[in-house]
Order: sequence, then C-alpha cells, then structure tokens
Amino acid sequence: MTVGQIPSVASRPRSAAGTGGARSAELPRSSVTARRHRAFYLFTSPWIIGFLLLTAGPMGYALWLSFTTFDGISPHWRYVGLGNYRELLSDPVTWDSLSRAGVFALTSVPLSIVAGLGLAVLVNRPLRARGLFRTLLYLPAVVPPVGAGLIFKQLFNRDSGAANGVLHLVGIDAVAWLDDPYARYVILMAVLWGAGNIMIISLAGLQDVPRELHEAARIDGASTWRAFRSITVPLLSPVLLFQAVTGMIASVQTIMPLLIASNPGPAGVTSIPQTNYMYMMHVFAQYFALGRYGYASALLWVLFVLILIVTGLIFKATSGVVFYNVDPEAKK
Amino acid sequence: MHAHAGAPLSRRRFLARSAGGAAAGAASLNGCALKVAGAATGGGESITMMVKLDDISTELIQQAQKELGIRITVVADDITRLIAMLTSGRPPDLVRGIGALDTPYFVARGVAENLDPYFARSTVLDVDDLDPANDLWRYDGTTQGKGPRYGMAKDFSQDAMYWYDTSHFDTAGVEYPSDTEPITYEEWLDKARRLVRRKNGQTSVYGGSYNGLGLGILFTSMTAAAGGSLFSADFSRVDFTTPEARRALTWYVDYAKAKVGPSLIQPNPDGWDGPTYVADRMAMSGNGYWLGGMINAEPKVAKVSRLAPAPVFEGGPRLSSCQGGTGMWMPRKARNKDAAWRVFEWFFGEGPAKARAEGGWGIPTLKSLRPLMPDKEDHQKRVLKVQKAELKHFSVTPFTPYAKWDALEALINQVVPAALNGQISVDTLAGRLNSVINEQLKRGKEQVG
Repeated sequence: MTVGQIPSVASRPRSAAGTGGARSAELPRSSVTARRHRAFYLFTSPWIIGFLLLTAGPMGYALWLSFTTFDGISPHWRYVGLGNYRELLSDPVTWDSLSRAGVFALTSVPLSIVAGLGLAVLVNRPLRARGLFRTLLYLPAVVPPVGAGLIFKQLFNRDSGAANGVLHLVGIDAVAWLDDPYARYVILMAVLWGAGNIMIISLAGLQDVPRELHEAARIDGASTWRAFRSITVPLLSPVLLFQAVTGMIASVQTIMPLLIASNPGPAGVTSIPQTNYMYMMHVFAQYFALGRYGYASALLWVLFVLILIVTGLIFKATSGVVFYNVDPEAKK
Repeated sequence: MHAHAGAPLSRRRFLARSAGGAAAGAASLNGCALKVAGAATGGGESITMMVKLDDISTELIQQAQKELGIRITVVADDITRLIAMLTSGRPPDLVRGIGALDTPYFVARGVAENLDPYFARSTVLDVDDLDPANDLWRYDGTTQGKGPRYGMAKDFSQDAMYWYDTSHFDTAGVEYPSDTEPITYEEWLDKARRLVRRKNGQTSVYGGSYNGLGLGILFTSMTAAAGGSLFSADFSRVDFTTPEARRALTWYVDYAKAKVGPSLIQPNPDGWDGPTYVADRMAMSGNGYWLGGMINAEPKVAKVSRLAPAPVFEGGPRLSSCQGGTGMWMPRKARNKDAAWRVFEWFFGEGPAKARAEGGWGIPTLKSLRPLMPDKEDHQKRVLKVQKAELKHFSVTPFTPYAKWDALEALINQVVPAALNGQISVDTLAGRLNSVINEQLKRGKEQVG
C-alpha cells in the first residue's frame, strides 16, 4: 500500500479511526474509563500526596495549634478556643503590621507591574543587542533573595554603603537609609529591582498581540499611545491580572529582604525599622522569638482567609475589564 | 463493598487512598529519620550534638572518633529545631546553651538532665576544679546558681568589661582608663563621645560599643550594677520603673542618642564588634576577655589593645557579671547519655578545653587550666593581670525561668527604639517594657505551672 492509498481518517469508519478506537471496540467501555481514571490519578497522585503531606496536613495542624497556647516545650499548654483570634483582633501590633503590609502591597504591586511592563515594551522593540538587554534586565530576578537582600544591605549602609558614597560626591551628607523613615524605600527598591520576572511574562504577552491589529490602528490614524492603551493593554489584561493577584499574595507575605535587614537571630526580627515591621515579620517574631505557636498560627490563618477574600474581590472587580481570548466555539 | 479490578476509582476512594499514601509517605519519611538517627545511635557509640558550627571543627569531630571511638553527628544550633526534636522525643544528646539565660528556662520545663551523678563519678571533671562561673548552669527550681548542675560552660568572660585601643585614645588625646579602678558608665560615655570620629555624617571610628550580649541581659546586669534588681523575687515580673532600672535605661538611651557606637537603631554593619575592632574602627568594645581570642590573632591590634574593669554606677556596687557562660547541656530524653557524657568530659576537660584556654577565647572553666591562658607577650601579661583582678568581683545575675531570653530580647527590641529616636520618654519606655514583658512572663508562668 502506498501513501496515496491510505484512506483519510475522516473517511474511515469511526470505530476504526485509529488504534485507540480499534482497541476500545475490543474492550468494554467501563474498562477504558477505569484505565483513564487510573492514569489520571496515577499522574496526579504525587501532587495530591505532596499536598496532603506538606500543605493540608500542616495547615490542619496549624489550625489546631491556633486554638491552643502551645509553645513547643512547656508542659502546661492548654486549649483556648477562639482566644488567640480574639486577642489578635485587639492587638494593635497585628493591625499596624497588617496595614503596613497592605500599603506595601498597594504600592509595590502596581509599581512592579508598571516597571515590568515598561521594560517589556522596551525590549520588545527592534533594538540592537535586544537579547543582551533582555538577559541583563532579567538577571536580577534570578539572584537569590538572600543575595539580593545582602547586596541592598551593603549598598545602603550608612557608613560604608555605595549610596552614601554617591551622595558624598555631590556634597550631600550621609543618610541612614536602613532606618526610619527611609527603610521602606529601600525595601521597595529591592522589590522593583526584581521586576525582570514581570518583564518576562509581559513580554510573552506582548508577543502574543496580533500585529495586524496595530497595523489596522495605524492605518486608522491611531497614535502609538492610543494603540497601546486600546489594543495592547486590553489584550494583556489577563497577564496583568495574573501578575496583580500573584504579586499581591507575594507582597503581603514579604519576609526575606526584611529578615536579612534585621539583626541575626530570632530576637533580631523585632529590631528592624518600624515601617518595615510587616505582618509576616510579626508572625515570625511570634513563632520563633516569643515561642507563641498558637497565636502565630492564628495570625497565619487570618492572613490566609484575608488573601482568599482579597483575591476574590480582585477577580470580581476585574470581571468586566479583563479580556479573555477564548474561542467562542470551545465554550459550547 | 469492594471494588472489582478495573472498576473506575471514585474520587472519594481516590482521596482515601491518597491519604493512605500520604500516611505511608509520612511513615517512610519517619523511617528515613529513624535510619539517620539510628546510624548515630547504633551501639551507643554515636551521638548527636546541636552546636554552632564553629564550636566543634571537623578536625575535632574526627579527633573524638579517634580518641573516644564515638562518632559525632553535628546539628546546627537552632532553637526551633531543638524544640521540634524535644517535642518529637528525639532530642540531640548534647545541646549548646547560654548558662546565664537558658538554665532556668529549660530546667523549669523538665527537659534538662541533672548532671550531678555524672560529675560525681567523673575522673576528668572534678567538681572542686570547676570555676564558680559554672554555677550559672545550676538551678534549684527557684534560684540560679544553686542546686543541681545541668550543664557546664566551655569558657566564660566578665562581659561588662571592655577592650580599648590605645592608638585611638592617643589620637584623640583621651586619658586611658585605669587597669585597677573602674570608671563610671557616665565617664565611659564621655570618653566615647571624645573618641568617635565622623565625616560627612558617616562614622569612620566608633567611640565605643556597649550592647552586652543582648539588651535584656545588659539591662539586667546594669540594674544590678546600679544596686537594684530587674526581676521580682520570684522572677515572675520585671520592674523597669525602679530608680536603678531607670538609671540603666537612661544610660542606654543617652548612649544610643549620642551615636558613639552601634546600637539597636544603628546596628553595626559588621554584625558584631569583633571585625570592626580589629579593623581599627572602634576605640572601645564592651566585650569581656573572650574577645582576646580574636585580638591575639592580630598582633598589631593586640599590642595596642588593653582590657579594662567593668564600669560602675556612682554609688552602686562593684559587680562584674558573666552574661553568658556558653556551654552545653544534656536533654533528659537523650538516648546515648553515657556516650554523650564521655564526649562532654572530653570537650570540657581534655584536648579541646586546653586548646580553647591557650587561644585566649575566654577564661577556662576548670581552674586547673588557667595556667594555659596566653601570657607570653607583655600585652598579654597586662590583660591577664587585669582579668585576674576582676575575678574578685565576679557575679551571677539570675534570670527568669518564665521566658526564653530571646523572647524578652524581641520585646525589648520592639519597644526601645521609640525612646532611642526621642519619640517617648524613659518613663514611658519603662512603663511599656513592664507591660509587654510582664504579659509574656505571666503566660510563661502559666505554662510552667
């Protein structure tokens, strides 16, 4: 039989349209379904087992701890019901640290997205050595957070940091960057320094925008800004939404750069400047410095629920704005 | 009902099986842990030590295996991990600790082994040879310094003493402190103000650093030096509003505001005094004799460095406390106590102890090892003379069993900066410290029972 003699798949009888079809004709339907189920569960089971062991289990354990005064070592810890939750509602440090984390998220997430998108637009243009620029701009994002934190700590040290060295060159006295009120800006800069991550995702989104739409807009006389606002941004909106949600979740949980800026050891956590004492630092202090496992677990559960609520609100608020490029036929 | 082969797996059954798998996974993970720990315990000739990695070098571990026939598995010192190991009933066999601060806490919770029977039968560690600094590791349930021994210090210092670099004093034209008579804290601060060197808002040489091993223990010691006590008689409360405690607080606030040295609001970029001092960027460093280990390694610095007696408060007693007494203790549930004790004896009484004594890293905790302290060079002789004279004023500042020291430290770190930045008065600071720390102590007391 030559290639030309092979009947097209469409012209073949349905039951014989491939090996699978032939085998399913031989096997009972229930057996095929069972095999598919088994394959599905077999492939997903590592994740499910990992989820149960490393996520659901610890979360359940933390929930139980949140109803106790457990400190890990003392013999007379006890069940306090909702006592820890009641305490956190009246704890000003909790609310202050939460509001600082909220303000940080509201500031850092939009700034990161704008910076990342701006960089993506720049490196999406036909530049010379574009690949090199893309690599250089993405590099900070692959520096481990510990390394980045240490670099910033040294750069902004009052007595030996490069930032004050530059100020000195222009005749300005040294600034205590790592103290209040400047410390918050250093953390913000550390976050923006890693905007390469957002740049890469935005770049992928930009390259998915059909060129014809921009050409049509140009023919219609639209300016570059108008085309960006009315074509690029709407088409990028799912990407931007993804970045907003993941960025918000990550920023309220920011801890690494803050931890590195603190004195070593659990007790050092509380010595960081007040403006950087955010929610996760409070949680860390309660767990590891004060040994209040129960209270700290309650704090984490409250954060978890708040993140779920805020994520839901973001989805709801953007439901009419985000453009999903879905094949209408696929919905049927 | 049993599912027949090939039947679709229901979600419920799948989740049940996943849970079973998870349990099996957990068991196998536990099995792995057992295997690792088992390797460390097999035949009683292996032990696990939780220490800082520079406490015991790889060479020492190999030496222990050679000399004692005991294999040592080192676990990095980490309170969270220690608590997890204690809670799971599989603690390390020996644990690093700070005698001055950890003893009451761990003993009150019943997790530390009484070492008196071990000392009684030891041929290496004679109780009569133990320096009084080891009493930091004693606790009778109410008083630190009395009762059974729960650990031993590897070395100690009188941590309120301070080192100074004469070259900076010469440059600034500041008179050297006396080798025998202590200056007051106010005089120390005055010297620091004259010694600090700044340019364009940057500090090139710190006048002096005085932060103790932590602010909690510093305030405790300074309050005692002012003639008072920070803790109530039963250690269940603190009172920062007493005149003595206020004196300590006021001094530290003045020190930090003067910006003559690293403080809570102006931390040392090097992390601690040692590197800054030997880099010739600090005129006085509030560290005891043990810093000599680092200074002796830099001959140029060692020649211009001197040790001075602990400052006093005018009208206060002359005390020179040990704020640390770092050493080791044995958990009550340690599985290889005999092997652990042999390592303990070796570490505190044999080769490693002698090497530490010769290096100048603290005063040996066995009186018999004192002749090994470095005294070949003139500057070493001078330092040793000052240190020996200071031993007459050695004191133990008891600590509370109701809170982990870093818990108090964390609370102090949180409250004190407002006063250091001039936002609140010392009186307000004292009130806030009382409030947060007494709350923590109250919780601790309830938990200890």
